[in-house]
This record gives sequence, C-alpha cells and structure tokens, in this order.
Amino acid sequence: MLDRMEGQYDVVVVGGGPAGMGAALGARDSGAERVLILDREPEAGGILWQCIHSGFGLHYFREELTGPEYAERFLEKVIDYDVDLVTNSYVSGISVDSDGTKSVRVMNEAHGMDTVNTKSVVLSMGCRERTRGSIRIPGTRPSGVLPAGLAQKIVNLKGYLPGKRIAILGSGDIGLIMARRLTLEGCEVVGVFEIMPYSNGLTRNLVQCLEDFGIPLHLSTTVAYIHGLDRLEKITVAPVSKDLKPDMNRARDVKCDTLLLSIGLIPENELSLSLGIQMDVVTGGPRVSSTLETSMPGVFASGNVLHVHDLVDFVTRESLLAGQFAGEWAQGVRRPADNIRLVPGDNVRYCVPHSLSPEREHTIYMRCKEAMMPCRIRVGNLMEKKLRFVVPAEMIIFKIKPDLLDKFHGDTLRIDILPAKKGKRHD
Amino acid sequence: MIKAKQYTCIGCPIGCPLQLQHEGKNIAEISGYECDRGAKYAKQEFTDPRRDMSTTVEIIGARWKRLPVKVTGPVEKDRVMEAARKIHELRVRAPIKLGQILIEDFLGQKDIHVVACRSMERIN
Amino acid sequence: MYDVAIIGGGVIGCSIARELSRYRLRTVVLEKYAEVGFGTTKTNSGIIHAGHHSSPDTLKGQLVVRGNKLFDQLCSELNFGFARIGELVVAQGEEDIPVLNHLKKQGENKGVPGLEMWDQQRLRREEPNLSHKLVAALHAPSAGVINPYEFAFALIENAVDNGVELKVDSPVLKIGVVKDGFVFHTPHEKIAARFALNCAGIFADKIAHMVGLNDFNIRPRKGEEYMLDKRLMGLVRRLIFPVPKPTTKGILIIPTFNGTIMVGPTAEDTEDRFDLSTSYDGAKQVFDFVSNICPSITERETITEFAGLRAVSNTNDFIIGPTNIKGFINVAGIQSPGLTSAPAIAEYVCYILKGEGLVLNPKDNFKHHVPGPPRFGTLSIEEQQRLIKENPLFAKIVCRCELVTEAEIHNAIDHGARTLDGIKFRSRAGMGRCQGGFCTTRCMDILAKRLGLSFHEITKRGGDSWIVTEMGKARGQRREQKKSY
Repeated sequence: MLDRMEGQYDVVVVGGGPAGMGAALGARDSGAERVLILDREPEAGGILWQCIHSGFGLHYFREELTGPEYAERFLEKVIDYDVDLVTNSYVSGISVDSDGTKSVRVMNEAHGMDTVNTKSVVLSMGCRERTRGSIRIPGTRPSGVLPAGLAQKIVNLKGYLPGKRIAILGSGDIGLIMARRLTLEGCEVVGVFEIMPYSNGLTRNLVQCLEDFGIPLHLSTTVAYIHGLDRLEKITVAPVSKDLKPDMNRARDVKCDTLLLSIGLIPENELSLSLGIQMDVVTGGPRVSSTLETSMPGVFASGNVLHVHDLVDFVTRESLLAGQFAGEWAQGVRRPADNIRLVPGDNVRYCVPHSLSPEREHTIYMRCKEAMMPCRIRVGNLMEKKLRFVVPAEMIIFKIKPDLLDKFHGDTLRIDILPAKKGKRHD
Repeated sequence: MIKAKQYTCIGCPIGCPLQLQHEGKNIAEISGYECDRGAKYAKQEFTDPRRDMSTTVEIIGARWKRLPVKVTGPVEKDRVMEAARKIHELRVRAPIKLGQILIEDFLGQKDIHVVACRSMERIN
Repeated sequence: MYDVAIIGGGVIGCSIARELSRYRLRTVVLEKYAEVGFGTTKTNSGIIHAGHHSSPDTLKGQLVVRGNKLFDQLCSELNFGFARIGELVVAQGEEDIPVLNHLKKQGENKGVPGLEMWDQQRLRREEPNLSHKLVAALHAPSAGVINPYEFAFALIENAVDNGVELKVDSPVLKIGVVKDGFVFHTPHEKIAARFALNCAGIFADKIAHMVGLNDFNIRPRKGEEYMLDKRLMGLVRRLIFPVPKPTTKGILIIPTFNGTIMVGPTAEDTEDRFDLSTSYDGAKQVFDFVSNICPSITERETITEFAGLRAVSNTNDFIIGPTNIKGFINVAGIQSPGLTSAPAIAEYVCYILKGEGLVLNPKDNFKHHVPGPPRFGTLSIEEQQRLIKENPLFAKIVCRCELVTEAEIHNAIDHGARTLDGIKFRSRAGMGRCQGGFCTTRCMDILAKRLGLSFHEITKRGGDSWIVTEMGKARGQRREQKKSY
C-alpha cells in the first residue's frame, strides 16, 4: 500500500471500497494524473473482505468470484494504475476555496490532521445498517442483538461467533447469507423472520441458505419483544396484519441467544450533508446529474452512498463512470448542463441519475415499488422496454441512447413501469 | 412407482416452482418452468445436487484472524457440513497468496481444491 | 475497619462519597454492578430541576433548590457537562393557568429564581416549533441538563482521587451487625465499617431488611425514554414540561446536554425490580402526547429507546436519616428531583453523620478538581490539532457518528471503563445513529488489549452480557427436516 499524500491532487476519492476503487480507475482512465483514495479501514476493499460468499463479478469479469477475490483484483489494478492510496484515514470535512479547489480534511495516526487539496472529489462512502432503534422493537436491551453485517464481520474477520442459537429478523440477502454462514460454523439458526409477505432475497439464497439446512422462513412475522437482562434469552415473534402491526394474540416465544437484524441499508451521507449537497429523500443519497455530479460543482458520487445497489458489478460500472467525469472535470472539461429532468412515475421508486443530457448515452438505475410480471418500462414517449418481471429487490438497469433524446423537446422525462400490454399474465 | 420432487428454480427472481416426476433414478417428466434454465436446474438438482462452498480458516500472523477460502468446484449437497468440518480443521500461516491451494483434491475429487480467496501479508 | 461504607454507587452514593472525601475518613463504596451508575443513574433523564414543582412540605422539596444552586460550582470543579437551558411548563388550555400560577408561587416561596409567566405570543416567539394550541407557559431559567452518568463518573473519580475506595461487582449479600458497626458480605470479601449509608436505590428496602429494619418499602416506577435523531437538534431549546400530575411530572421534551432530543419518561408502577423493558404502549403514550406539544416529533425519528426504574418509597418522599440500628443511615426513596438534590443530600448526610458521632476533620490537601474527559468532536480545529500533536491517537477515529477518537477510548479506560457500556457512557462511542455498528469491534479490541482479556471476554455491561463466543464451541445441530413452530 502506498502512503503518500502530498501536493495537489486532481481527484480525491472518499472511500476505497468497490465504488472508490472503480472511481479511481475511471479517473486515471480519463487522463487525470494524480488520484488519491482515502479509506478509514486498515486496507481498501470496503465491505468485500467480509463477503466471503460467491456471486461477485459475473457481469464485470464474467466469472463468479467471492467478495475478497473481487476486492483483490481491483486493489491490484489500483496499484498498477498508480493511484495513491492512504488507509486508516478519516475524512472529517471538505471545504471549497474561492477558485473551486477542494480542501479535504483528513485524520490519521501517521499524519495527524492534514488537508489535501484537489480539483474534484468522488464521494463513495458506502452505506451502513439500520439499527434496532429505527424499528423500535420493545423489550429490554441485552447483549446479543446486532446488525447482520456486524455479525458477518465478527465471524469472517475477527473469527468469533455472535452466539450459539441464532434468530434472524429480515430475509434480505445479508440475513440469508448469515443463516448459512452460521450453520456452517456449527450454530443453530432457529429461523428467519420477515415482516413482509415475501422475501427480499434472491431465490438462490432462499434455497441454498435456508431450504438446504432446514431453516424455517416465517413470512408476515416480526419480532415483537426482546427478553433478557444481560444477554438475550428469547424473542417474542408475532404474525403481522396488513398494516404490518404484530398481532399479539398469536405471538409465541422463541428461545435464542442472538438476534441478527437484516432490516435495511442506509447510504452514509453525513459528509455529503455537511457540504450542503442536495439530497434525494427516497434514495437517501445525493441528487446527481448525468455525469454523476452532485449539486456541488466538482463533487461526484457513486456506489452505495448514491443509492443502495444489489450487485457490486454495477457499483463498479457506475463508479468507473463517475471517476471518468471527475477526472475530466479536474482537467478542465465542463460538459454542458443537463436539460432534461428525469422523474420517477408509476411503480418507480426512484431513478438515478436525476437528469439527462442529449449529449451522451446514459445508464439509468432504478427500482420498482412493487413486483410486476410481465411488465414494460415506458420512458416518456421515447421508448418502451418489455421485461419478464420486476421486483423491488432487483435494481433495473437500462441504457438510453443519445439519438433517442435528440427527439425529445420537453424538459421533464417521466419513467413508468406498467403492466405488459398483452401476453401471458402470471399470478 | 412415479414419485414427484419439488424444486424452486434459482435461475432468476421469478423462482418458478418446478416439479420433477421420477421412477427411481429415472426422470419421467419435468414441469413448471418458463425457460429451459428451469429444466436444466431440476435435472441437476435431482441427479447430482451440488453447492458452491466458501468459508474461513484460521490464519496466524495476518491482519485478521481468518482467511476466506473456497472450494474451486461445487461440493455434493449432502456433504456440505462434512466439507465445512474438514476445512475448519485447517490452520495456515501468513503470508498467503490469492489462489494458493490449501487442500488438494478435496473430498477425493481430482482437480477440485480448497484455495485462498485473498492474499494476506505477514504482520507481526 | 472503614469509617463509612456506602452501599450503592449510583449518583447518590457517588455524591456522598465525594463529599466525605473532603474529610479524614476511610470510606468505601460497594457497587453491585460492573461500574458505577449502571443502575438507575444511567437511565435518569438528566434534568437539574429549578425546584418549583415540589412542595416545601416534603424533604425532596426542601433539598432540590439547594441542590440546584450547587451545580455551577460542582460543574466548574468536576468538569462534567451542565447547561442551564431553562424550562417551560406549558399550558395546553386556560384551565391549566391556575396550576402554573400555583407552581410560580410555590417556587417563589422557596427561592427559585427568575420564574416568569409567558403569554402565547412570547411562547411562540421563543419556541416557534411548539404547537400553536399552547396558550401560556411558566418559564424557569435556572433549570438545566446534565448527563447523569458523566456526573457520577466525575464524582467517583474525584472521590477516589481523594482516597475513597471503590469496589465494583460487589453486591452486598448479607450484613452482620457487630459491636462497633457492621460487616458486609460481598461475593469476594467481608468488609467492616462503623457507619452504613444505604444508597441502594431500588433495592434500598432489601438492604435495610438485612439489618432487621422493615419500616419502608420501595416500589419501582418504570420510565421509558426515546432518543431522537440528531437531525432534530435545536427543535426546542428548553426543557418542555406539561402541567404536572400527582404521581409524575409528565412526559417531557428534553434537549439533552449534547443537544440530542429525548422524549419521555412514562410512569408505570411495577413489582418487578428488573423490568427494564420498553413497550409498544409506552411508545404510543410518549409520542401521542409529545406530538401534541411539538408536531414535528414523530416515532420515526427514534434512534434508540431505554427504560429505567425510579426508586419510589411508600412515603413518596426521600427517606434520609438515622434508624433504630446505630450507625445505619438510610438515603432511600430518592426519586425525582433526586439528581438535582444529590449535592444537597450529600451535605445533609454529612450533617447527619456528624450528629451520629462521626468526627469530620477536613483534609487540607483535598483535591477539588477533575479534568473531565476530552471531547475531540466538540473542539475547534486549532484545539483538535493541538491535541493531535500531543497524542497522535486523537487522529484515529473510532466512532464516526459522534466523532470519538481512540485517545478518548483509552481515556475512558484510564478512568474506569471496563465494559462496552462503560466506554459508551464515558466517551459517547456507540451513542450515535449507527448505535455501535461501526465502533463495536474497535472498542472491544482496545478494551481487550488494555484489560489483558480475550476478545470474547469483553461484555456489554458486566455480568452475563457477553458479546461474542469462541468458534468451534457452538453446539451445532444440522436439521434434517423443516420444523414448524
């Protein structure tokens, strides 16, 4: 690992996970000479080191890799591409000088408090996990209640177990993966509880993490009470009605000493908020133009900090682009402003980026609100794309070519997801 | 006598419920799939179900206490827990290189090995 | 043999310990949990009351105003956070005004300074985010907020600095009454002392029973509190009280010392002395009420919730005084305004001890000051840089939500933290939005190193609150079939 941080940079990337590494490579590709990644962990690679399961790289490398393998490949590239990398470093703030230079305040043990000057910045701080407090589970506060990602770190990096008899709240992929992981390590996973009537996780994980091991999945069920003074002793679970409130008349106790919470991810935008950057309330991340630039000139964003992704391959793709634009910006390129607002319509929860320009091709990332199959994506009156299915857990990605936008004379383009016009319907 | 087995296809989020009818080891019919990924999957699951396996092993002298490892080919589904137990007996010492073979011909399968999924330097 | 044994290391026990440490005495504090303040104290709302809520006919009503006055000096000596942010008792309708007037009069008679009635216009101007339905308010500028655990830590540190001995993980299991005093049996040892101060909070009646005294009992009253996201900081600037009821001051909006807003507490009598649970009903009660007073506050803003037990005696007042057992002094039933009264209670107890024959010889080398923990996140950039130059560990962030550095974690351990909660309450690491998601393993690593323990021996708050267990030790079972419950 390099450890230099001198002089003026072209691009500083905040966060050295897959998004940050991708942005750094994209910046170098654009011709930016001096690119620096700052990461608060002892090594860059982000969350990937603890994601020891496979499923990474199918799109980008056309190989199925584990998280650490994916991380190491990118780390090698980052070093090959002469990107400066400083770890164990925390970015405590960014200020902008009158000439547009960004001063990035960094703290680390080696340099103390330092400032790095740069022309442009890419924010790639990733996301954090939702906590017990955010869903307000009543009961006591014993040890043994923790987010699934923290448990994953404890198991895969620290080499300990979070407990012996495990319950999991939330059937998203992190929860499912941990159900299998802990079973392989000899724990007893008593069940996965999911408040919705369907699971958010990949079918592959439902089969290979739960069914294979006989771990029951209880849908439309939530944890209504936590018991235990010092250490978790049991949880009370209850089925929920349509309003997602637990029916305590049908509650039952489940003995366990550990409760993992896999209840959602939140982009970590404390730094973005401190810069006064305009945010999208739905994604929890910054609003960005088609060059992935935020409302602050020369500050770009990509990866989970912008919106929570499912596949790291798309984080990489998005970040290479953000890095490229950030690199160009550092070299003085100013692209014409976007003149088309992109607006989420029917059954679209959000779409990123938030605006488009007829100047170039765009990759649109979006999520639906509800599952629909089959369906079609309607982009204004410009194009329609048929899809077999959409589910909220799977991000939808498609391209819009510049010649399509040439025909568009409005200033607001609305994207809808509608039921397919004709053909077989599935229930 | 014809028996039926149920599977959920994992090829895409639709998760078609598949039914495979068989007589002993002979497949009579597969139904329920929307595309032929489903047919292939049901056949594989019936004749030779396998699973990708990754886990961690103890490593001494590195930054973290565990080294992520994987088996380079899918393991028989019924031997997954046995495979985990065997792998967990390993203890390795840093430095380790990504791809380094830690157990060769794992579970008696030629050319299927347990390998390191990352490099880890020696740290004192 | 000690001169004084203080049973209970909550804020009352610690206040008395500090007061006694002024004198040439051998004093010991016996605390049942892993650290001081881990009982009711750490769940306390942290309010330093102005004193106009309690009647002068009660002991609590008499001690509160004196206690309030002592906080400025205590704060400057012990360097815990304290801010006189002021308090408003708000009138939701005209029918509340006579109560406000009564409180004002009651306060003025007791010497509570600055009490003033505000009309609706003034209220709206000063607290624009409160409901416009409120008609008036009684302003008490001398009310304030502290972090009660910070206060307890500072008190005990000063006391120990001045020679008091602290024994943690030392519940008193049995008390033998002997010729010159008492012998206290803890799981580890027997301790003898001439005088016993019963500061055992919700277990004070049980301690009194151990010497054969049965003249009071403690009935815990549970209070649930809800911490809100930092985003809401500044929504209200003062403590907001409703018009009080007979058993409770009501559900409050509390801008805590660090600015984060907390709402609660509920008031629920319970038989269970270990019931620290929060509930759907409690949350509903709190948020239904509070959203009436301040419409911007909703349940969704919660980042964490907790409950505490008030030690309410059957007399509904403090029970402070000597007993039929010579040398055994009760300091029990310290419910609200117990925190505010603590310094005055400590003075009063010293006075009682003198009356009971304990000679109080002041030390001439009494150390008044405690430096207070460094709070990197609150300092200016220049001050931060200065700290970093002195100690590079100030440049290592451990808790990014509250900007707590590794140096502060070490500082917490230097000053008594032995558990994850001990670190949390001293340094604030783990109190932010992510509730320890990022900093937990780091804090555990540092604790393990400093205390010479293995990672899996670290606990959340002592006792059986282990956090992780060793690999290879789990009782694994492979399921053959899906089981249904």
